[in-house]
Amino acid sequence: MTNAEIYKPAGRSASIKSRERAANAAIYTVLSVMSLFWLLPVLWLLVSSFRGEPGAYTEYIMPKQWTLSNYTRLFTDTALFSFPRWYMNTLFVAVCSCAITTFLTLMVAYTYSRLRFRWRRGLMNISLVLGMFPGFMSMIAIYHFMKAIGLDQSLAALIMVYSGGAALGYYVAKGFFDTIPKALDEAATIDGCTRNGIFWKIILPSSLPIVAYTALTAFIAPWLDFIFVSVIMKDNYANYTVSVGLFRMIERENIYQYYTRFCAGAVLVAIPITLLFVKMQKYYVEGVTGGAVKG
Amino acid sequence: MNVRKLTAIALAALITLGAASALADTVPLKVWGSQENQALLGELIEEFKAANPGVEWDISLGVVSEADAQTRYSEDPAAAADIFAFANDQLRTLVTSDSLSEIAGSRLEAVEAANTAGSVESATLDGVLYGFPMTADNGYFMYYDKSVFSEEDVLSLDRMLEVANAAGKKVFMDVSNGWYIASFFLGAGCTLDIGEDGKQICDFNNANGLAAAEAIRKFTADPAFMTGDDSVLQGGMGGSIAAGVSGTWNASAMEDKLGENYAAAPLPSFTCGGELKHMASFIGTKILGVNSLSDYVKEAMQLAEYLTNEASQLKFFEQRALGPTNIVAAANPAVQENIALAALSAQSAWGVSQKNVLNGYWGPAEAFGLEMENKSDADLQGLLDQLASQATQ
Amino acid sequence: MAVKKRDPFYLRLARGFNEYIRMFREGDLWTRLSYLIMGAGSLARGQIAKGLLFLGGEAAFIWFYAGFGWRYLKDFGTLGTNAQLRVWDEADEVFRRIPGDNSMLILLYSVLTLAAILPLVMLWKSNVRAAYKAQKLRESNKSLPGFLADAKTLLDNRFHMTLLSFPMITLALFTALPIVFMVLIAFTNFDKSHQPPGSLFGWVGLANMRNVVFSNPLYARSFGGILGWTFVWAVFATFSNYILGMILALMINKKGIKLKRMWRTIFVTTIAIPQFVSLMLVSKMFTDTGVVNVILQRLHIVSSPIPFLTDANWARFMVVMINIWVGIPYTMLMSTGILMNIPAELYESASIDGATPVQTFISITLPYMLFVTGPYLITTFVGNINNFNVIYLLTAGGPATLDYYQGGKTDLLVTWLYKLTVNEQNYSLASTIGIFIFVIVAALSLTVYNLTGSVKKEDQFS
Repeated sequence: MTNAEIYKPAGRSASIKSRERAANAAIYTVLSVMSLFWLLPVLWLLVSSFRGEPGAYTEYIMPKQWTLSNYTRLFTDTALFSFPRWYMNTLFVAVCSCAITTFLTLMVAYTYSRLRFRWRRGLMNISLVLGMFPGFMSMIAIYHFMKAIGLDQSLAALIMVYSGGAALGYYVAKGFFDTIPKALDEAATIDGCTRNGIFWKIILPSSLPIVAYTALTAFIAPWLDFIFVSVIMKDNYANYTVSVGLFRMIERENIYQYYTRFCAGAVLVAIPITLLFVKMQKYYVEGVTGGAVKG
Repeated sequence: MNVRKLTAIALAALITLGAASALADTVPLKVWGSQENQALLGELIEEFKAANPGVEWDISLGVVSEADAQTRYSEDPAAAADIFAFANDQLRTLVTSDSLSEIAGSRLEAVEAANTAGSVESATLDGVLYGFPMTADNGYFMYYDKSVFSEEDVLSLDRMLEVANAAGKKVFMDVSNGWYIASFFLGAGCTLDIGEDGKQICDFNNANGLAAAEAIRKFTADPAFMTGDDSVLQGGMGGSIAAGVSGTWNASAMEDKLGENYAAAPLPSFTCGGELKHMASFIGTKILGVNSLSDYVKEAMQLAEYLTNEASQLKFFEQRALGPTNIVAAANPAVQENIALAALSAQSAWGVSQKNVLNGYWGPAEAFGLEMENKSDADLQGLLDQLASQATQ
Repeated sequence: MAVKKRDPFYLRLARGFNEYIRMFREGDLWTRLSYLIMGAGSLARGQIAKGLLFLGGEAAFIWFYAGFGWRYLKDFGTLGTNAQLRVWDEADEVFRRIPGDNSMLILLYSVLTLAAILPLVMLWKSNVRAAYKAQKLRESNKSLPGFLADAKTLLDNRFHMTLLSFPMITLALFTALPIVFMVLIAFTNFDKSHQPPGSLFGWVGLANMRNVVFSNPLYARSFGGILGWTFVWAVFATFSNYILGMILALMINKKGIKLKRMWRTIFVTTIAIPQFVSLMLVSKMFTDTGVVNVILQRLHIVSSPIPFLTDANWARFMVVMINIWVGIPYTMLMSTGILMNIPAELYESASIDGATPVQTFISITLPYMLFVTGPYLITTFVGNINNFNVIYLLTAGGPATLDYYQGGKTDLLVTWLYKLTVNEQNYSLASTIGIFIFVIVAALSLTVYNLTGSVKKEDQFS
């Protein structure tokens, strides 16, 4: 582009406009194609959940029979797979671990962000390093600790384990707290506020996004994890969560009968989480933005 | 050492006394069975309680499939069930970890008398019986579409491929799976065994093995060849697939798909180094074992024996189409007429016990199968040498 | 805050010891008694609640050791010597087992018991210091702080103790101790022929390490090959998601693009479906007979199925692509906000200079993002090295290959390790590999993390 062009205001704005339009059109096309790629598997899941024919695989693309029974039977045919009970278990674990995790994460993040004490950097480095060890290696040990205190195969054990991760997952929240001006703390200290007071009166009120972000991630985790649950719960079907229950449905001996019901169950799990995400998107974005900036 | 043995015996006496005096109290037992067997197991347990009054039974049921039993058991033997069903390929691992209570004395005689020799053998290791044979159907054979193949056709793999090609249909076999691909090698005369040192012996890289591998290569290169997992067979049978190698767990799905044309036969013969050899197969059983750590070994034995007796096995056949190991139950006309079980029992003439396969075999065998399915042109002898050396690690 | 130059560890330790010797020398009877009976000093000087806390702590520790810990700790050296015994019961015609030692529980609970010393030492130190301080205050005729006043400092000066104590306990129990346990297993022969409680396992020293590194060429070759792919995967998975997610966010955020909320929601749906569901679904779609191949064949784009997941190169390509599908939404959400924060002047000057969108992206957006989200990128990279879910659920490490011992061409070190534990029950080999992964990853990321600008400048933000 030459200088001459820049000094032709009228022509330039016209060309900018048309270029702008072309660019937008291109973006719309790209977005639409990508949306297609993103939505197709989801659509496929939906279609499968309404398919009348059993089995994981058909030789044709569109089902020949449509049915709602995959959904209704999740709730009526509960002798073997007690989906409603698992759903309630998961909800219970999710609510409890969400409350505890949020609280613990914020506490840890606040400590590392605001308080200065001797072991601070050491503890942060240790936490960082410990988080890198492959997690499933420790599950056997955790199971036996739980057993020693009589909590094996219980929902309480799950809640404890999910919340226990809080000491490692503080990065985003700490990053967010780091962005809150320290001057606020100092002013409060001069007013005679304790550090406890600062946490509740200054930091928390200005951290709604990160609270929402932490709560949301903590709430979702129990819906998605299945490896840990199967180690903790073992043969105790009554205390399963939906994800491990769904996973059982697609084991070799069950997949033919249960595949379509598995899809229906997955849809039922996805709906509330999608709604939550849509509702809380704004906070999520603000939270993770503030947090990731300082990591 | 002697002192320890003495105390052990004294302790045992105490435990026995304890168990004896506990008879009046409740006897808590836990049973593990697969998901599909839960309802029937529950029913049989109720019958057992009614048949054995005078004891306060407290029997609970847990869901652990026969395939996972050993893994689940080893996670925490003390919390595992008193009685659990497992596939007999796990026998050696379970015995190595001293997990199973031996069956001896008059009970041993009863089991040996009631069950087929093969099924008793499948639960026996080094002359000791470690469990109650439950079902004799952990093997595979050939399902086929009667409207495509005649009974003559399914005797030979070459013929089947010819017919399938002419009809535009496929012959299904999951070659990239150690369980199925062994058919060719074992049929060609190779062996999988356990050596004195407890390590796997595998001679798939000898001349017979090479001939078998060439046959596999030819099979996978055929346009009528098709592979995939169970769900592909379940979805495609009757459509593009006209014959497939699988086991009894797929019987109802196959019958569903094929309807009137539903048929089953032993595996066919294949051309191997110019000769016609019959395809072999792994043949396994499911066994009900008693946890060696159970506090109520005797009562557990009693229940396990009940769950695998003639009447129970017949019920397992009627409700779940599982093949009996009990001699009388197996002779039942309804069992004899069951298409899938008949094919399985005919195939058992070429059956090889899966007891002698260690876990290290499956990975390399799958890898070899994949090479074949991908139509790799790698040197077969080299691949087989690697397969044998890895399986025997 | 200036970074203080710190003395080496051993010097500080020595100084710490000296301190306690000095306090002992200067201490009176009660202070000295506190070295043995915790809380004695505090109790003698009227700090009853505090003294009882110290004493209770010591009592609890002794109770724990005598009642639980010692049973296991005494066998720590051998991991148990009494094997399970079998006794024939003639009357019932059954064999009964006399339980022997359980090597695994001995190891696990010994670790727990040893770790319990740490809180005792901390409590003991603060007990001695409290006794000494109280003595000094008394000697100079000053009044001692009451229990409530002490407790209040927990909400202010020592607030970090209050906040961190519980999370640190969970960290120790659920993360640190299990890791120590797993690390120790690498020095034992805990494999399929040594399975507790039926049989014992014992210490074998460095035998497993030697095996992985050189004794067994197959292990060494497999480890090398899988390690290489793990890094390639981590690089591709991390940066593809990072850059593409950012571009996606840029497109949605662009002025003049309508329905921003709808676009975002579409991409977010993949987060909401449990990962094992969507990954299993996608992996089924890409099999030889899967819906993608069926469509491609119907449209006559290809004549025979594309081996998406069964050919090594295709499979490696596919896992990266599918990981993009799974991961982009997260990066998109994260970058959405940050991108809006990029100072508008930067872009204005660029547009005056006549830069194309690509140039603007490379010279302004990317550097800004990299600068701000450095630590995030490192965490993601480490997460990808240990990305068990995506690989295991998509391909389970397959296609299997004879080049690696029990491994496949898309196996990461973690998934390989998982197979070794589950299929082979070779816990000692798996732990050994676990240690190697850990050392590599930890060294790499700690170095980078502590060098990154935004960590160093942590305190400069406000």
